[in-house]
Formats: sequence, structure tokens, C-alpha cells
Amino acid sequence: MKAQTERVAGEPGAAVEPGGAVEPGAAVTGAVGPGAHHEHEVWRHRHILDVDDFTIDEIELVMATAAEMKEILSRPIKKVPTLRGTSVTIIFWEASTRTRVSFEVAAKNLSADVVNIAAQASSVTKGESLVDTIRTIEALGADMIVMRHGTSGAPYLAAEHFSGHVLNGGDGWHAHPTQALLDLYTMREHLPEGTVAGRKVVILGDVLHSRVARSNIWTLTKSGVDLWLCGPATLLRGFERWAGATIPGSATFTVTSDIERALEGADVVMALRIQKERQESGLLPPLREYTARFALTRERLALASPDALVMHPGPMNEGLEIMPDVATGTQSVITDQVTNGVAVRMALLFLVSGVRDVE
Amino acid sequence: MSSRALAGADLAIGAPVAHLELDGVWAVDPAAGREGPADLVVEEGVLADLEWHESSGARRGRGRATSDGQRHGLVVAPGFVDLHAHFREPGFEDAETIVTGQAAAAHGGFTTVCLMPNTEPPIDEAPTLRTVLARAAESGIPVRVLAWGAATRRREGKGMAELGDLAEAGAIGYSDDGAPIPVGLLRNVLAYAGMLGRVVADHAEDRELTSGAEANEGLIGTILGLKGWPRSAEESVIARDIAILVDVLGSDSSAARLHLTHVSTAGGIDLVRRAKAAGLPVTCDVTPHHLALTDEWLAGARRWSWQAWQDGPDRDGSGAPTANPWAGDALAGPPYDPALKVNPPLRTPSDAIALLAGLRDGTVDAIATDHAPHTLVDKEVEFGLAANGISGIETALGIVLVAVEAGKVSLLRAVEALTVGPARVLGPAGVPAPALEVGRLADLVLFDPADGWLVSESALSSRGKNSPLLGRSLPGRVLLTVGAGRLAYRDPDLA
Repeated sequence: MKAQTERVAGEPGAAVEPGGAVEPGAAVTGAVGPGAHHEHEVWRHRHILDVDDFTIDEIELVMATAAEMKEILSRPIKKVPTLRGTSVTIIFWEASTRTRVSFEVAAKNLSADVVNIAAQASSVTKGESLVDTIRTIEALGADMIVMRHGTSGAPYLAAEHFSGHVLNGGDGWHAHPTQALLDLYTMREHLPEGTVAGRKVVILGDVLHSRVARSNIWTLTKSGVDLWLCGPATLLRGFERWAGATIPGSATFTVTSDIERALEGADVVMALRIQKERQESGLLPPLREYTARFALTRERLALASPDALVMHPGPMNEGLEIMPDVATGTQSVITDQVTNGVAVRMALLFLVSGVRDVE
Repeated sequence: MSSRALAGADLAIGAPVAHLELDGVWAVDPAAGREGPADLVVEEGVLADLEWHESSGARRGRGRATSDGQRHGLVVAPGFVDLHAHFREPGFEDAETIVTGQAAAAHGGFTTVCLMPNTEPPIDEAPTLRTVLARAAESGIPVRVLAWGAATRRREGKGMAELGDLAEAGAIGYSDDGAPIPVGLLRNVLAYAGMLGRVVADHAEDRELTSGAEANEGLIGTILGLKGWPRSAEESVIARDIAILVDVLGSDSSAARLHLTHVSTAGGIDLVRRAKAAGLPVTCDVTPHHLALTDEWLAGARRWSWQAWQDGPDRDGSGAPTANPWAGDALAGPPYDPALKVNPPLRTPSDAIALLAGLRDGTVDAIATDHAPHTLVDKEVEFGLAANGISGIETALGIVLVAVEAGKVSLLRAVEALTVGPARVLGPAGVPAPALEVGRLADLVLFDPADGWLVSESALSSRGKNSPLLGRSLPGRVLLTVGAGRLAYRDPDLA
């Protein structure tokens, strides 16, 4: 979506010299190796709110930058001074460990100062509005906000009232852009020839309530994936219509409840978390029926291509939507997703910062 | 207008219009089924003279020489009647009061407004109703305020409100707007209201289907991750209400009348069309925003419904053509604007096109604003948590004129749906038929369709600044509103 994207290329690209001071607009010299000078001209995002407005070039830039970050993660000292002096506030209105810690580690690896706020809904109960909270965080000196919120679209409201950068760590059912990008990175890392184009990717489970699925639809279809969404009809509501709409830069995708057809010859199978509330709200029969029909089991995985990747955005309900032997089996790249999440988030923090060089 | 047009340039709001001459304006009088160039004279608050020029094929806004430099192309019409507005008093005066609501109505060209009873306390007893009407009469702004009485006690759907007492106090009809009347009570309310010669206006929404709903169920809501508000929630209640009405007419009261307010779906319009074809006493209104805005606006699109329709045709699940706002350059504004959160939700272009068709063919009796002012506290929040409603009484004319300009509805038909149409819905319990009729107290609006005005917080008289049109220019600046022979609104720049 357009309004929140602004061209930042050409803005004061403050360069950080290794061990040196920040000099706005300073020419970069002597950068070597992974810290080489970046062409940011393709980058036009002040915030990371969703991936619907990412171009292929921008996706490629994120992937390339994440690869550099991953190299840093392989060093004995996993820390660069890139965002020294930058204050990052992480505020999650929804419980999360994985994404919050991943962002925190990413920001700290870049030497940013990190403030963690566990909002949970407490400010809501106190009557403090989101806008008030954002203004307060700004007044406290934050340059970037990483947020998760239970209401779809909340990061857009935050971005409107914040003069720095907002990174969406998940909003309602809407978007989880950093997850989609780390998923793409992980697929490319493991698939032959490092490309997802033409590969069959299956997203399996509760698509309706999944921000992970929605953001993955944008990145994967733009990347030329043969994308399949599979689950019970009640949890695919509306996606047939989306699949039928022509969106420029996106291929269409396939929506089905036929799990055998979906898994047949798949190169990647991503299972989504099933929340127990889905049964209580009448969307599903007792959950053992879900497990019987849609869980990712060893037998079902055998329908996919022999070296198909198994993914899950976490946290998993092992035994419900994915069997433990599959989750930890040889085809599983679930822990790689976690590691790559740090690299991708480092890349995104770096790219929105406008800093031109990693170190 | 000549320089002597409005005698007493410092005429105050509420003062009788002693002398007003409108020469060579484009008069629109749906009561007479007529529009064309005409001269009008108001003397001592009474429409003293109306002279239609010979029908020379002259068109509004062009052709006529203006030897004395007067503006041309101004339109005069009977004052508008709004069947559905919320002035929030008593109980929510920080969002609107009766006085600020009247001022907003006058700025929008409305001289009659029917208030919904969802105040605190609700208008479910005669004394509360009388207080509201008295407050309006004391304000000095000559915008006639009428009121719907609650259909059920405290609008809680648990027992009939004091319908007879409310009628005696002036209720024009009954509604639990904001909530549907429960099915068992609806039958009895329709019958009892029929006995009292009053119409029942139902808010058609099956709340079991809209629990937690945020946006129309469709492509846009799916992509934005907003919980779907299915059309069936509205259409099933409309169908149910019509079926109940048939039983009431057969067994209880042949005078029962059902009105469906803010119909928003193609299927809903179709149900009303069929009921009317069967001769049933069913009427309906639509809002300006459901005619011209669509759920695309939630994603950031800012094009009118018919533009989105033309930019189709992709296919949505229903087989109807629909455009995809992610295509092209349609996404021009911020997504998730809480000003767009409204009940019923903004629907698809195909729904809006069906509402426009219903407006043209008479299925739609009235354009009603559902003016729903809210405070910033209730609106500057996450989309899903924002209060439902659009502050719309001042932008209604502008939106309608955009549709007129686009050829979606004729000016005469649009004005009819803003005047004679709503009066007919109310029947004898409502207002005298709006008309440009010599000998009656002048009740009219003068506007300039060619003169745009910028919708801004300061331009809106309403306390509710929750308009999704802020920052946009709308045609049809209102120059003068006269209610019951007295000045209700006057453009500050009017000479």
C-alpha cells in the first residue's frame, strides 16, 4: 500500500565508519568485503509495514543484505557498529517470544540501543491509546519502533504518528513481513540453485487467521512460486476470491482442501499453527479431526518431493498440526528459519535506517 | 442573484427572510416533476412568486446571459429531508449536540432531520422525546428536528417501548437503529406501529453473523486481514423482515409499514425491489457513502464506486465484475482509515452500482445520511477498535452531485430522493410534502454545483470530524438554506 512508502534514497545517508563517528552524507571509503557500499536506489521504504508494495528488486536487496548479515552471524564476534546510537523500541501488544527476541538480537548485533516494552494490552486497559503510546515512545527518543499488535492495520496508524521508522512484527491477521522475507530466504538457501521460481510451495492449515500466510502470498507469488494454500474450507474463507483476482506482479495461487493434491510433488510444505480457539468459535470440529485430516505427518510428507523442505513459523503445536518426527526430521528447516530471522531482521533494520554501509 | 437579492445582508441565523429574489436560477421541484430556469421571490418568509422560464431547452449551468453580472447555474431546491441522523444528545454531547447538528444540517442543505433514538438515555419514553424536540425548537436554527422513537425499551430488544406515548409526543416512527429489532418483537412492533400510523425502520444486521466483523467480506477484507462482514447478515434480516410484514398485513394490521434503513448490498436492494413489485408497503434508504465509496478505500484507494467498476472487470467469487485496487495507481491514500469504519460496512463496487441502479429505478426511496459524528478519542484508534460511523450530513449533497456529474443519476431524481422521497416514507406523521410551492413558507436550499469546497475539519460545522473525505474537494457549495421561512445557513462569502 502506497501512502506509507516514501523515497528515502538520497536522504541524508549517514555513513558509519568502523569505529568512527556518524557523518551525515559522508563519502564511504575503504569498505571491504561484506560491508561493501550498497546501492540503495531501489529501496524506497521508510517503514516495513507489509510486503504488498515490495518490488522484486527490493526483495532481492533484502535477500542480498540478509546474506551479508548472515555472514556476520557466523563470526566469533557477531556484532557490528552499524546502528550505534540508534534507539530501537520493541513493543509487543501480543505475547511472543520468538519474534520479539529475534528483533532484539538483530538490533543488538547492529549495536543499536534496545528498549523492550511488554505492553500486552495493559495500556489498553489503562485507557492509553495506541497513538498516545507511540507519541510517548517518540518523546523518549526512539528512532525505530518494532511492534506487534492484535489489530490488523495498527502499524499504519503508528507510522502516521511517528517520525522515525516502524517495523511491523505482525498485525492481526494482516501481515508479518519479516516472517515472509525470512521464509523466502530460508527457501532460497535450501532449494537447488537458490531460487524459488517454479517451485511448488504449500501453506497448510489456518490460512484465514494467518498474517504469515498473507505476507507469504505476496512475496512468493511475486517470486514466481507455484503457491498452494490448503486447509479446511472454514479456514480458507475468502482466499479463493483472492486467488482469482489479478494482481500485477503476482501469479495467482491455488486454494484447495484436497491435501493429497496439494502435497503431491511439493518442494516446500509450511504448516501453520492451529489455535485451540478455532474449535471453540465453531470453525472446526474437535481438533483430533483436524489432525486426522490435515496434520503434516510422515505419511503425508511422503507425497511431496523426496527432499521437500518442512517449515513452520512457530510456535508449533506438535501432535496437532505437525508431527514431532516431521518437525525435527531431516527435511525440517524450522531452526534455520529462526537463525535466518535474525539475519533478515538485521537487514531490514539496516535498510530502513538509511545508513549506507554495514560496517 | 441581484445585489438586492438578500435584503439585510447581516440577516442573522433564525431571522425571517424578509425579501429574497433568485433570478434565473435552475429550480428543481420533484413534487411538480419539473426542473428548469426560473425566478423565485420570497417575501416575509413566504415563497411569494415562482416563475418558470419558458422551456427553451436551456441546460443548467450554461447559456443564459448574465447582463448584470450575476452568477448563473445556481440550483434552488426544496430543503432536504434526512431520514437518519445522530445528533448524540442527550448523552454524547462531546460528539455532537442538537444545536451543532442543526448547524451541520443547514450547512448541508437539510431543513428537516429525523434523529435516531440511540442516545443515553435512549428516546424510548415521551418525556425524553419532548426534551429533544424542545431543545431543537429553542436553538434558533430553523432546521426542523423530528425523532424516531425506540422500538423496544432501552433499545434492548426485550419489550415494546411506549409506542403510543411516543407517537403522541411526536415520534415519526420507530427504530432501534444500531441494532435490529428481535424477530419476535418485530412482528408486534410492526402491528402496533401500524395501528398508530407509524413506520418501523429496521437496522438489518444479524449479529451472529457480524460478531467481531470489521469490513465487508470480500477481496479487500481478506487481503487486509479484517474480519468479514458478510452480506448475508444484512440480506437475511431484510428477507426475514419482509416475510414478517406479510404476516402482519394479513393478520394484524393492514396499515403496517416497514422501512429498511442504510441498505448496502446488491442483494438487499433486490429484495426490496421484489417486495415493492409485490405491492408490499416496504421502503428503503441508502447513504451517500454506500453509493459512492467502497471497501477499496480501506486499502487506500480513493476512487468513486463507478470508477472502480469501470476499471474492472476482474471477477470476484460472486461472478460480478470487480476491480482490484492493487492494480494500477488506485492506492492513493493511507490504508485502514478509521473514518471509513461504518455499519453497515462499505461494500464492493458492484454493490454500490446496484444501489445507484435502485436509486434510479425508484427502489430506493430516499438518500439518508446516517450522519454519525464521533470524537477523535473514538476514531483515532486502530481500525478494528474504531467506532462505527461517518460524519456525513454536510458532505451528502457533494457526494450526490459527484454522482450526478458522472451521469449515474439525474439531478431531479437525486433531489427527489433528498426531499419528496423521505417525506413519503414517513407518511402523514412526518413532514408536509417538500415542494417549491407559492404561498407556503419558504423551505429551500440554494447551491452552486460548479463551486467546489474543500472538506476540512474547520469547514465542517459538525463536532464530528470523522469524514473520510477530509482533504478532498466536493462540488455543490451550499449558499443559502432557508427553513420554514427563516435563515438556516448562509455562505459567508455570499454577497
